[in-house]
Amino acid sequence: MKKALIIFKKEIKEIIKTKSIWGPILLITIILSIGMPLGFILGSEPILEDEDTLNFITKVFGSVEDPLRVLIGFILKQLIVFLLIISAMVPSLIAPSSILMEKENNTLEPLLATPIKTSELLLGKTLTALIPAFAISTISFIILTVVVDITAFIKLGYAPLPTVEWVIVAFILSPVLSFIITMASVIVSSKSTDIKSAQGIGAVVIFPVYLIIGLQLAGLFLLNITFLLIGCMVLLVSCPFILKMAVKIFDRENILTRWKMKA
Amino acid sequence: MIKVENLTKNFGDTTAVENISFDIGESEIFGFLGPNGAGKTTTIRMLATLISPTSGDITVDGRDSRNNGEYIRSIIGILTESPGLYEKISAYENLDYYSSFYGIPAARRRENTEKYLKMFGLWDRKDDPAGTYSKGMKQKLALSRALIHEPKILFLDEPTAGLDPESAHMVRNFIDSLKEEKTTVFLCTHNLEEASNLSDRVCIIKRKIIRIATLSELQNSNKNKRVEIVFKDDAAKYTGLIEEINEIKDISADNNRMVLLIEKPEISNPLVIRKLTYNGAEIIYFNEIKASLEEIYLDLIKDEEAK
Repeated sequence: MKKALIIFKKEIKEIIKTKSIWGPILLITIILSIGMPLGFILGSEPILEDEDTLNFITKVFGSVEDPLRVLIGFILKQLIVFLLIISAMVPSLIAPSSILMEKENNTLEPLLATPIKTSELLLGKTLTALIPAFAISTISFIILTVVVDITAFIKLGYAPLPTVEWVIVAFILSPVLSFIITMASVIVSSKSTDIKSAQGIGAVVIFPVYLIIGLQLAGLFLLNITFLLIGCMVLLVSCPFILKMAVKIFDRENILTRWKMKA
Repeated sequence: MIKVENLTKNFGDTTAVENISFDIGESEIFGFLGPNGAGKTTTIRMLATLISPTSGDITVDGRDSRNNGEYIRSIIGILTESPGLYEKISAYENLDYYSSFYGIPAARRRENTEKYLKMFGLWDRKDDPAGTYSKGMKQKLALSRALIHEPKILFLDEPTAGLDPESAHMVRNFIDSLKEEKTTVFLCTHNLEEASNLSDRVCIIKRKIIRIATLSELQNSNKNKRVEIVFKDDAAKYTGLIEEINEIKDISADNNRMVLLIEKPEISNPLVIRKLTYNGAEIIYFNEIKASLEEIYLDLIKDEEAK
């Protein structure tokens, strides 16, 4: 564990110095946790003046007493899923860079020649992607909650967050998703030869998150506690399998002889 | 310190190293020479427990490599062909990072980091990112990294590549001084002069071992000898007198100097001297020119290719 933490500490130092990694993370975090909730809450009243919006609400929720409250609730469900993008995006940006930079700089061989175990190296790389992902998504959830509650309270007289769904997403679904994306990125990175292609594949890995957003917006599906718990269960069950696969691929001999090192 | 028995490594259908065996003693400098693709890197990787052998046994410091990988990696230092440094962090941080994997106390780590950075003239730029270093400085930093935990065995792959003559000289002196520290050095180099000056023994490999010997053993066993004769006058006028001697394979003359390539000196040399002096040649010097490691190496590789 100590050696994994040594790796983690050094990797974080390097990430801080790599603008191309933290720049997009910072930008998307600001957009998703501040820009989007502000825009949605402030724009919800004028939207209700549109007949199509009212029809949509009636179609999805039936006839309701307070359409504005229902609309805000619906928007918040979208925002929860948007925040999952952060949990998925952060490890998909960090993990490939962390592994492929070792390949590109030929630093893996001297590192593997130290008395480190391969499992410690994998754990170090996993923590490097996982801890920032968890920290950033938790901070985003907190910022978003504060922004939504303050804006909604000033504008509508009530604070809608946090909800039970909100807590499930923030503290179960989001970390589990980050873990799976991290492991998927380890697997993808071990098969790639450059950072951009690994990150491109990483973007494909987060496609299911976009799918949920699309299905919700189309009115075909609406996240509720049951769906979220089922989602958490499915992801939790798949964790050991994806971990096993990553450990198998992240083998010392495999890394040195089959990974294509930069000449 | 290192014992290798019948070591073979296959990658699929390709055999990288075939049935090699050797022993390396404590504080010995063992030159490991061979053309590109001869299996040198694969051998180092197996000795350093980075990859496992297909067959055969390796014992390092009395321990079997299959079950003692972590221990073996804790007593070796390795300088890989490419320096492989973290370019965004400083030289000091690079050394501190690697040394922290060996369980060295923090104070000792700081001491060693300072010692090696100063020794290789990098101390003034210790806080600069390694990416800003020149090729030679990176090589020195990588060498410092290999030494930071004071290993018992040092694997050096082209240690002076990219270094200016002064730095290369300093590194060679340093490698030579490691003997006093009882450090065993496994030296891979294409610089044959360096290998011959530093190595106690050399091993010439091309997938299989071609020869293991000291330089003088190699020179003595070399079938072609060279003899230099310096005359008082022009050497060219004497070539006709000796060219019919069967054991002479080649003659070259330049001003008053003649060089003969001969096969059996005990037969040819008395004949040459007799013929020359009988015909009035005034000889100032008559010397054997010892074959260089490069000449011997090229001969052995050529013979191996001809097989």
